[in-house]
Amino acid sequence: MVLCIIALPVFAILGIFSVKYRKLTLDSLDCIFRTVTFRKCRSSLDDRIKSYMAGKTLKVSPVLSGVIYKNYKLISWIILIIFLWSIYGTSVGIYNYAQYGNCNGPSDTGFCMLDPTGQNTKTSEIEVDKQSKVIYAKLEGDDPIIGNKNAELTIIEFGCYACPYTKKAEPTVKEVLDYYKGKVNLQFKTFYIPHHNMSYRSALAANCAQEQGKYIEYHNSLFENQEQLNEALLHELANNLGMNITKFDECLLAEKYKNEVESDTLAGVHAGVAGTPTFFVNEQKIVGPKPLRTFKTIIDEELKKPGK
Amino acid sequence: MFFDYNAEKTRKDFPILEKPIVYFDNACMSLKPIQVIDKINEYYKEYTACAGRSAHRFASRVEEEVDKSRNEVRKFINAGSAKEIIFTRNTTEGINLVANCLEFENGDNIIISDKEHNSNLIPWLKLSKKGIKVLIVATKEDGTLDMEDLKSKIDEKTKLVSIVFTSNVDGVVNPIKEIVKICRKNGSLVLVDGAQAAPSMNIDVKSLDVDFLAFSGHKMLGPTGTGILYGKEKALENLPQFIVGGETVTDSTHESYNMEELPMRFEAGLQDYAGIIGLGEACKYLKRIGMDHISKHEIKLNEIITEKLISNPRISVLGPKEAKKRSGIFSFNIKGMNALDISKMLDVSKGIMTRAGMHCVHSWFNKRRINGSVRASLYLYNTEEECNLFVNEVEKILRM
Repeated sequence: MVLCIIALPVFAILGIFSVKYRKLTLDSLDCIFRTVTFRKCRSSLDDRIKSYMAGKTLKVSPVLSGVIYKNYKLISWIILIIFLWSIYGTSVGIYNYAQYGNCNGPSDTGFCMLDPTGQNTKTSEIEVDKQSKVIYAKLEGDDPIIGNKNAELTIIEFGCYACPYTKKAEPTVKEVLDYYKGKVNLQFKTFYIPHHNMSYRSALAANCAQEQGKYIEYHNSLFENQEQLNEALLHELANNLGMNITKFDECLLAEKYKNEVESDTLAGVHAGVAGTPTFFVNEQKIVGPKPLRTFKTIIDEELKKPGK
Repeated sequence: MFFDYNAEKTRKDFPILEKPIVYFDNACMSLKPIQVIDKINEYYKEYTACAGRSAHRFASRVEEEVDKSRNEVRKFINAGSAKEIIFTRNTTEGINLVANCLEFENGDNIIISDKEHNSNLIPWLKLSKKGIKVLIVATKEDGTLDMEDLKSKIDEKTKLVSIVFTSNVDGVVNPIKEIVKICRKNGSLVLVDGAQAAPSMNIDVKSLDVDFLAFSGHKMLGPTGTGILYGKEKALENLPQFIVGGETVTDSTHESYNMEELPMRFEAGLQDYAGIIGLGEACKYLKRIGMDHISKHEIKLNEIITEKLISNPRISVLGPKEAKKRSGIFSFNIKGMNALDISKMLDVSKGIMTRAGMHCVHSWFNKRRINGSVRASLYLYNTEEECNLFVNEVEKILRM
């Protein structure tokens, strides 16, 4: 009976395309119905599956075949549990996808059966305690604001200029700011990731650009040229934007904004950032590159709150 | 190669054997040689028409081919006349024809064995509701018929003894000649279910002296839906018609009709001409190979399987231990395993096709409380190599 439970939906779907499976669907249904009413299954579909499995493995090893044949009920239960677990996991994944644009949910902590390696919600991870009790970041410091400075809502992004996932999120960030033009702005906090080469130096350089009022342009240039980032390029990009290059080089050489970069990173760590990009919309956290609809779901919710 | 017979050569006539299969379900259905397939195709491609009705060239050709086929069947069982050969759909229909046409008197009885196919049980059980007694002769532990039981049951009220020739359960061949002798002393008719015997052994109805013999084409290389009822001319003449209509009468008015001659009076409606013609070709094919060769070949193969498996304590073989007493049938069970499971495993693992279940002889299995068996039934195209493969796979299952 056990495998008939699995067979029923499988054959029912296949039955849409082939008459052969319709008969098997009825057999499965009959088997389940008769078993739950304490009668012998007439179709013996379970037995047919059992002997089929035993016959297939007989080619490989009679011992293995014997294990399957003798422990068929136990194996059936294990398969059923895995099947039900898969159904549950898939349903959660589908729900999450519809709600948050990926099957891991709003943060990257949820397991996704359809994306077990988490490729679709990856961040550049750092060695921090993911269980940090502080779960939101505060709008603080003089980090630059992208968008309308008087907007109703500020998204705080912890990002790294050398992180490919932060770069991947950039178009969506622009879409969000464009969609909520005037209502929502973004504060970008540089989050230094040691294992990303040029992460620290780019963060310093961005701060040096801010000093000369060229932050947004330099910020965009860094992402546009992420794959080629090196010391010379930092200099070249500043030069291209018409900055006072001597002042810029001095700033970068002296690591003038070292404390600023470290303090931003520390703020992120305290806020429970485990990788970049991580966004905070008030107390709600969005981890990894996410589509516009994920931001919309959260932002709309926040904008509806009293006082907004 | 056994005797003068070369199974490998025979196999070349069977296109289906090009597939990687081992076909051991011959007691249910035999495979078809290309000669039979071509003959059937020929009818559809070259002279599709009715027999016995129209006068055009196609119709004449069909009539000629059907006559030839009837004559082939006559020769196949050594019947005295083609009139004694009635084409049916299968053995079941042949037996039903006799069961429905024989005229019984109150108190008459019919004797059958306890190992009859449903085809030779149900028609008689149906009659028992009309007051005809059905007496069952027991089979012994080794599957052979208890002749003493038969002698004790037969009496002057026994209208008919209807008995299987070769059992499809265990391959045991009943002593038909001896049974006929007993019946003659009592004036009883004898109907033989030859479905399993006709494909594998020489049948000489004259020598056997049976009144009726029913068998199927599909088990003897012929097309599906074809069968034969042989009846002694005298017995058939005395038999009223069964299904009537087209071709069973020579003339009719709104009040009456004139019966057709034998055998057409029993072949109502348009016949399966392609099948009948194909069946004639199958008889010709089997005759050419030689029924003795086929019979010996089957037994030899059965001996190979029996010798290697019968001594295993987990295997129980239905019927006598000696392979030669079980013709081409090796019907068995493995202790602790379901027959259907074994059969399915053989198919899935090596493409060995057997049959599992009660083989339409439920009454015999139920009486002995046996939940069916796996039946490997051998035929002229099976080989020693296939038997060894079968043995190997069964041994693997035993090691599970």
